Amino acid sequence: MNISQTITQTENNIPLRCGNFQTLGEALDYAAKGVTGLNFYSGKGELLSTVSYHQLCNKAKTLARKLMGLGFSRGDRMALVAETDADFARFFFACQYAGLVPVPLPAAIHLGGRQAIVENLRKLIRSSGARAVMSSSSFFPFLAEAASVFNIRYIGDPGFFDEFPESDSPLQYPEPTDIAYLQYTSGSTRFPRGVVITQKAVMANLAGIIQHGLSVRTGDRCTSWLPFYHDMGLVGFLLAPMASQLSIDYLSTRDFAMRPRLWLSLISRNRSTISYSPTFGYALCERRVRPSEIEQYNLTSWRIAGTGAEPIRADILERFARLLSPAGFDSKAFVASYGMAECSLAVSFAPLDRGLETDSIDATELMKNGKAVPVDVDHPASSEIKQLVFCGRPLPGHEVEIRDEKGVALPERVCGVLHVRGPSVMNEYLNDPETTREILSPDGWLNTGDLAYMAKNQIVITGRKKDLIIVNGRNIWPQDIEYIVEQLPETRSRDAAAFSVTDEDGEDAVVLVVQCRQLDETERIRLVDILRERILEEFGIDCMIELVPPHTLPQTSSGKISRTMARTDFLRRQGEMTASQSTGN
Amino acid sequence: MPEKNYSEILEDVLKILERFAKPSEKISEETELVRDLELDSLQVMEIVQEVEDSFDILFPLNDISGIRTVKDFVLKIQKEANP
Repeated sequence: MNISQTITQTENNIPLRCGNFQTLGEALDYAAKGVTGLNFYSGKGELLSTVSYHQLCNKAKTLARKLMGLGFSRGDRMALVAETDADFARFFFACQYAGLVPVPLPAAIHLGGRQAIVENLRKLIRSSGARAVMSSSSFFPFLAEAASVFNIRYIGDPGFFDEFPESDSPLQYPEPTDIAYLQYTSGSTRFPRGVVITQKAVMANLAGIIQHGLSVRTGDRCTSWLPFYHDMGLVGFLLAPMASQLSIDYLSTRDFAMRPRLWLSLISRNRSTISYSPTFGYALCERRVRPSEIEQYNLTSWRIAGTGAEPIRADILERFARLLSPAGFDSKAFVASYGMAECSLAVSFAPLDRGLETDSIDATELMKNGKAVPVDVDHPASSEIKQLVFCGRPLPGHEVEIRDEKGVALPERVCGVLHVRGPSVMNEYLNDPETTREILSPDGWLNTGDLAYMAKNQIVITGRKKDLIIVNGRNIWPQDIEYIVEQLPETRSRDAAAFSVTDEDGEDAVVLVVQCRQLDETERIRLVDILRERILEEFGIDCMIELVPPHTLPQTSSGKISRTMARTDFLRRQGEMTASQSTGN
Repeated sequence: MPEKNYSEILEDVLKILERFAKPSEKISEETELVRDLELDSLQVMEIVQEVEDSFDILFPLNDISGIRTVKDFVLKIQKEANP
């Protein structure tokens, strides 16, 4: 079989429409008139299955009629374990035509992690109030166990739902004000927060992404290994290609993690033009690609190599670009972007065809006074230079404001909390009015919690507000302290959490919790000494260092360490210690 | 490919794992992959790739959540390699 003849074409036979639809259902109806679609590849780089938008639309509608016979009410939730396969896409869009709200659930698997996976799924099913749950057969045992404690009538793999008869009632197309999907990305694993996104919001964001962020044009083709249970994978690389009728080639996240070079070979083979990854994906490629293979790649077609979702590290991306430049990769393809699930996906994109542009500022000024003072790189003063990436202007129709703690808008180059307002912003967190009120004002401003400043009308992200450490009036970014830990050979990234606590004297003290595998007491003391010394050297602060066993630090569902929760856990441990001391133990 | 027995597979697996462990680490059948070898999720995927390539098998990824020790790992490979 000649695979190149069976994938969906790049060139379409209908005019390109750039996301200007009212609902996801309407967008798929239009894409179904063309010949483009989704292509799924195996971990060996072979084509597993192909589904054109035409087929996807028909199959989703058939399934929608079956779901409609099961007695759900309009707006009921259906949880879908989001594996990178055609069934997930079919069920997601079936929900769109059946008046149901799809809830993508994580499909991540860890070595020896069965119990954690089940518990996490259970929390999300509970939080979403799902009335039906679906997973492909490979993940089904986890889902069945997770859902077993609830009284959910419809739990099954795709085949289970396909067995039901089709109902005669007309499809229930959503209204623009209806909920399009629930997204669980931003909360911690212990307290999941379901972001409620309406059709109107996601369509506004898609139009912004397609027209403004990516300037999609005829001949574009996408490649993605980003999971469908994250906003960048779902909105960026399932919904955006669909709403602009582009063909896309998928690799599952696991297969990418196993063989990152497949990403590059897929882009080369199918002449893909748009693909995204957080910084770590580029780092993984850079580490694992064999130099002898580079010549066989052809990355000249890759016009948008996007990045976002975690702090953008220009140094790592530049290394990737240097390594792959013999294969035709152009570092001008890098596009820095900023966004979050609470704003559907995207808030801003850096200008295209320019590559990463960094702002060189005085690190001390930023830390002490929260000011981004440009430094002449060619004539550096005595102070240290910090290089931050420009993340572009907000999408049209969206406003951003940098505010201080009291909510007063700040001028250019002054660091504060980034607020966003616009049509892509979420309605609320599901069933959580309190948290919703904390971050979403009645006049529509979303407090992103991120620290940023504006320069040249572009957003520059400096860190997370709620995690900011302030010592003696000085601002210290916890990731900078954690970075010191990452530098040590004994530890890895995500092994540390830094935060501040108030001590008995009412003074702010900085705490660094480090996951340590070393059991030898002498070695442990040595590690603490080194860290204290380095932090003292670099920041001039005395930091209390606690060593804890691996897997102690709490993670959010997107795998980031939650500093807020790490702090709570730390205080609890301290409290237990004090209590046991006072009872004479 | 001739069938490999348990101890042959173990030997091959140890060779792969040694490259991911610290030189001081002594690996045995009872060694726990995550806890003792401190493998992060990306390293695990790299190891699974090596195993797949050297034994010419497709490793069922939902199975890896049940693997704790080197022995678990070898038994699983044996099952996949000699169905």
